[in-house]
Amino acid sequence: MSVSESLRTEAAALLADGRVTMIIASRRRGHDCVPGFFTNADQLDALDHDPDQQLNPAAYLRKEEIRRQMPVAVVARPAVIRSIVLLAAESQITDDDVVILGVDGQTFHGVLDLAAAAALLKAQYPDLGPDDDVLARVDELNAMSAEERAAFWAEQFAKCTRCYACRAACPACYCTRCIVERNTPQWISTAALEHGNYAWNVIRAFHLAGRCTACGACEAACPQGIPLMLLNACVGRTVEAEFDAKVGYDPEAEPVIGAWREEDKEEYIR
Amino acid sequence: MTQTTPPAAENVYQTTTMTVASVRDETVDTRTLRLEFDDEAFKAQFHERYRVGMFGLYGLPGSGESTFCVASPPTRTDYIECTFRKTGHVTAELRDREVGQAITFRGPYGNAFPLDDWKGRNVLFIAGGIGLAPVRSVIWNVLDRRDEFGNVTIVYGARTVGDLVYKTELDEWDARQDVDLVTTVDPGGQGDDWSGKIGFVPTVLDEVAPAADNAVAVVCGPPIMIKFTLPVLAKLQFAPADIYTTLENRMKCGIGKCGRCNVGSLYVCKDGPVFTVEQLEKMPQGDM
Amino acid sequence: MKALDTAKLSDLAAALAEAGYRVIAPVSDGEVLRLAEWTAGDEIRTDGFAVNSIKDILLPRSEVIASATIDGDAFSLTDVPVEAPKTVALGVRCCDVAALAMLDAVFNWDYEDAFYNARREATTVVALACTTCDEQCFCTSVGGAPDAAPAADAILRPADGGAKLALETQTDKGAALADAAAGVLADLDVKPDPPADVPVIFDAEAVTEWCAGNFESDLWQAVSLGCLGCGACAYACPTCHCFDMQDEGTRTAAVRLRNWDSCGFGLFTQHASGHNPRPEQAHRWRQRVMHKFSYLPERFEVLGCTGCGRCARLCPANVAISEVCRQIDQEAKAPAP
Repeated sequence: MSVSESLRTEAAALLADGRVTMIIASRRRGHDCVPGFFTNADQLDALDHDPDQQLNPAAYLRKEEIRRQMPVAVVARPAVIRSIVLLAAESQITDDDVVILGVDGQTFHGVLDLAAAAALLKAQYPDLGPDDDVLARVDELNAMSAEERAAFWAEQFAKCTRCYACRAACPACYCTRCIVERNTPQWISTAALEHGNYAWNVIRAFHLAGRCTACGACEAACPQGIPLMLLNACVGRTVEAEFDAKVGYDPEAEPVIGAWREEDKEEYIR
Repeated sequence: MTQTTPPAAENVYQTTTMTVASVRDETVDTRTLRLEFDDEAFKAQFHERYRVGMFGLYGLPGSGESTFCVASPPTRTDYIECTFRKTGHVTAELRDREVGQAITFRGPYGNAFPLDDWKGRNVLFIAGGIGLAPVRSVIWNVLDRRDEFGNVTIVYGARTVGDLVYKTELDEWDARQDVDLVTTVDPGGQGDDWSGKIGFVPTVLDEVAPAADNAVAVVCGPPIMIKFTLPVLAKLQFAPADIYTTLENRMKCGIGKCGRCNVGSLYVCKDGPVFTVEQLEKMPQGDM
Repeated sequence: MKALDTAKLSDLAAALAEAGYRVIAPVSDGEVLRLAEWTAGDEIRTDGFAVNSIKDILLPRSEVIASATIDGDAFSLTDVPVEAPKTVALGVRCCDVAALAMLDAVFNWDYEDAFYNARREATTVVALACTTCDEQCFCTSVGGAPDAAPAADAILRPADGGAKLALETQTDKGAALADAAAGVLADLDVKPDPPADVPVIFDAEAVTEWCAGNFESDLWQAVSLGCLGCGACAYACPTCHCFDMQDEGTRTAAVRLRNWDSCGFGLFTQHASGHNPRPEQAHRWRQRVMHKFSYLPERFEVLGCTGCGRCARLCPANVAISEVCRQIDQEAKAPAP
């Protein structure tokens, strides 16, 4: 059975026994595969697997219209499963809210609850993260002087139009009022000019420290081609190394930046 | 490369400045500023255009602008007034302005209450809480032209005595023989000295039962008050075309360009803020 | 007709730059095709779709519209110069040009926006006719055409199998531009290539009519589920013009900025009281479609959509307004029970 067929079969079963009221998957539209939301068995013919999906459907789990439908099923590739595990670890969803239809390219991993999905990741995908070429570019950047690196990012951020597609596409960006939307005081300039763009992009990367699952949805979403995976990898690499923690594998894990342990290094306190 | 620099007067976003002439606290968080024009030329063109119901954008450079009605009538030409609640950073900074200090102003924008159409008619004013601010300018406009109108009835209420605005003016209206004023506070909102009515505005309106014959009504207040007042007016046989209200919506430019304030196809800054209930009934309620 | 080799389009740009025009043309930065300021050495692309539109030239992402100097509690208002360099929009698609009617109408609605008008006046628009299209194009469904740009000052038509571009002037500004470029244009006998075949996929009039009576339809919820609420579509759209005004400053100076905004953002209509007339994406999607297909046509007799397809190409969730319109059209013709 193709992945698409497996998904359709399982989706039908999940809807039929009322285990979920909606399947978040993909559907065919012309030559594209686009997000599809299925609430009815007779819609499922249109459900198609998208092996090249760049969107992270875990981002939909913050939408009120979707939350009202919970429990929902989500077709999730490994990076997406990591995001769903992150959301559980951060108390945005519970075990009962989401059923995972695990996929990876042309493999169907079955119908999984949160624990089974996390176990799958640990067993078969223990080293998820940015691609080697992204990591190589992180090394290149780190080898630059601070001025060169700042100039590199300034050139990238000059393209930013503050459309916030990166934020919208990211499952970890679920704040009901984002820091750019706070205006007493206005922490970050909302104008698509250098000072605000730099602050926005860097602060978003910082707010993702220890939380980014390297799914790439932000970079895919950016209409201007800003290398956001690279930016997030710069931060993520440091966090993983310093805190010896990999996000998105344990639904009970404490947030890396939010938790404090006695054994945390204090060398920066002088 | 050629550059074009039109004179500043052509910049529709350019503000003028007004100086605070006096400050009056209406409630713990609501203040009225009386503002005098700093620019005589602006003052002249303001008065050519200003009719009661229109609004302005009041602000401070570096802070921003807020939209309030012009709370004083066009019959009083030396100043304008605005009444606002401290809600965010712009209103907080406006509230901190002292007598002698300046603010920026743009306006007047929007449409107006058609007072000339009301000549010879009775005028009923119904307001709740800070909703009295836009109504108060109409009241004073009518009272400044008193002979032109029939009976003037005002039904005004607030949650508590402390929430009533324009308290000294309520006393002035009460003292007048040619005005019928009924004030009320919500049950539990009265103090020991309260001699007005006790009850929600729609309930009190129902008791007062002003006649709809040859009358128009002006209503403004919190959405819940409006929701329950309109059925009472219908019961009293006021025609929707004879009931006027003023809408609020989030605004930025005030001149129909930023695309923010529309309710359906009508822009509150251009087609409003004054609307009749007849118009309101045709507007999508789900966009309000 | 006046024509040049397509491969020599940069020479045209150079000639225009020499004549004092700031040249804005579709250039690639290696990753993304963008309408940007051309400099010598840049290749002007006649294939593909720029991620941004002519709107960027007429309504910049951020600009100062008022300013003041500050001294303690006092301030002085200062004038804001309008920057409107002589510009040519070289090679913008016909669907971009179709947006000008809408933008001109809004920015001159009762109050004339001097910033917009100065830039509009200073810009010569040279359209590029389309001989190919992609699945997201739908200009023909909204009254447009791939090879007609009546509001353009001139139009470049691919000819001789794409090898040549024929320049057809349509206004005095266009003629002036052709004069300035006389050195790179030759009188050639070229055969313009057939325009792209852009299938009509919905009936825009039916959409407008349906919108007028279906404010409360369940359809809005269904079509907006995929929308994540960013501003990519609004920013890329040539007709979207909604903006925010934000003050920024120091202790000694302040500016009032006009920044792009989007009705898709959650806080676009948020009141200070906390009330939001459009609290969910379905409400905001309804606003988007209604504004373009119902309200703007009602006020200005022009649609607020030119079928350029940028929104669909750039949407992180592949939401396509053309698909929504197709669904509305179907619904209008055969309403679900």
